[in-house]
Amino acid sequence: MKVLVVSRSGREVVRGGLEFSDAATVAHLQETIYRKTKKFYPSRQRLTLPVQPGSKEKPIILSGKKSIKDYADGNNLTVVFKDLGPQVSYRTLFFFEYLGPLLIYPIFYFFPVYQYFGYKDKHEKFPVQTYAMYYWCFHYFKRILETFFVHRFSHATSPIANVFRNCAYYWTFGAYIAYHVNHPLYTPVSDLQMKIGFAFGLLCQASNFYCHILLKNLRSPDGSGGYQIPRGFLFNIVTCANYTTEIYQWLGFNIATQTVAGYVFLVVAASIMTDWALGKHRRLKKVNLQLSSVLSLFRVWHVNHIDKCTYAQSSWRTSC
Amino acid sequence: MANPLSTLKRIYFSVYNWALFYGWAQVLYLAVKTIKESGIEHVYDAVEKPLFLSQTAAILEIAHSLIGLVRSPVSATVPQIASRLFLVWGILYNIPEVRTSVLVSSLVISWSITEVIRYSFFGMKELLGITPSFLTWLRYSSFLVLYPSGISSEVGVIYLALPYIKSSELFCVRMPNKWNFTFDSFYFSLLALAIYVPGSPHMYTYMLGQRKRALSKSKRE
Repeated sequence: MKVLVVSRSGREVVRGGLEFSDAATVAHLQETIYRKTKKFYPSRQRLTLPVQPGSKEKPIILSGKKSIKDYADGNNLTVVFKDLGPQVSYRTLFFFEYLGPLLIYPIFYFFPVYQYFGYKDKHEKFPVQTYAMYYWCFHYFKRILETFFVHRFSHATSPIANVFRNCAYYWTFGAYIAYHVNHPLYTPVSDLQMKIGFAFGLLCQASNFYCHILLKNLRSPDGSGGYQIPRGFLFNIVTCANYTTEIYQWLGFNIATQTVAGYVFLVVAASIMTDWALGKHRRLKKVNLQLSSVLSLFRVWHVNHIDKCTYAQSSWRTSC
Repeated sequence: MANPLSTLKRIYFSVYNWALFYGWAQVLYLAVKTIKESGIEHVYDAVEKPLFLSQTAAILEIAHSLIGLVRSPVSATVPQIASRLFLVWGILYNIPEVRTSVLVSSLVISWSITEVIRYSFFGMKELLGITPSFLTWLRYSSFLVLYPSGISSEVGVIYLALPYIKSSELFCVRMPNKWNFTFDSFYFSLLALAIYVPGSPHMYTYMLGQRKRALSKSKRE
């Protein structure tokens, strides 16, 4: 089997092409390209089948687990190579995104920072400010633990630019909220409202954790399993119950702490997650149509034999 | 053959683009005339009314992008319009001390030349169905100079206004209040300046990409 590797401008990325046995997988092809080019490790490579020039179709991305033979035309295959740029593992990305809020928020709580903003620091804190700090830190600590012990990522990496973008988002909002909740001139809500807010928030965090467990069980430990329709618990009502519980969890925090900063964050986070959920829902509907003739998403639990899907570029996204 | 909805769209856009062309042409004319006759310190006063009208009307462009009436992504229209409105209504309207600066002239002239070209380009396309190649070239090339000059002027004007923003405490909201809300115009302006750092290359490279597509397309036609 002969494989030609070309760039999108037609230039040969590996001069002379490559030879493989019939049983060779795409992953093996990627390893070989890496060995030959020395620069492009597999997670940086996007390999697609060529499309007709001018065609509006999205190119088909080769899946690492399939064999080269599945994509070949007879004994030949041409793949189009795209460099995705330096990549960082999702675990690394999430760790640094979440570390920021975890460390920044307590700085506003424990240290006399407000003097630098021209305020006299107050040492006494309202109970809600203390609970808020623990709630917030628990939340991000939970996220970090989930990143390392729960989530199963199908696509292992993300472009390095996302590190800057995502950290800017989390760290800035973290500081923005922490500044307001821990402010010496902070006005707390009623005791009852605080309790309702935190209780509801904790309930949603627990539900969110359970959603993550259910999602994890859809995939094997190496991340294979692609897109499957989650079933049970709140997934019988909404497609992305993990996002739903996350949004409501932030609502609980805001009911308890009542800052415009917190609500702004809630609105932004909810819109981002809604955008993701709509995409996920669309993708899962396609999966559902492909595998069975059952259409309604509310009858998801009737679909019995969901085959393993192989969407090579699927990316796992957790909450905001 | 043309369905009523697309005809309506075309009429709407013809009116919109030519009306704004007229507004910005006025700004440009008055700016140049004032510089020649009275001097740069008077430029703002001369262009104020048509500037307010023309720039504020551009809010519609965000709506056009959101509804999908135009192809431009929201990510390109919002920063552009936000920075313009911030300059016009945030800074120039509230801080009279900066109005006499030469940067206001460079600002207003950069904007108005860009807009005169842009709106006449789209106006021709909508009303007459033609895209004259010279105008196309202008529309996709003038930004190469006018973006840097316009952006530098915007940054300069904001920077000049900073001490006045700080001392005037305009629009500032302080704690304590029920919603634990604060707003500080000075820090907000600093944030606006900071956004120019990633924002300007983003807008410039977006236009470079648009230029490549548009000019190669017109070469093939």
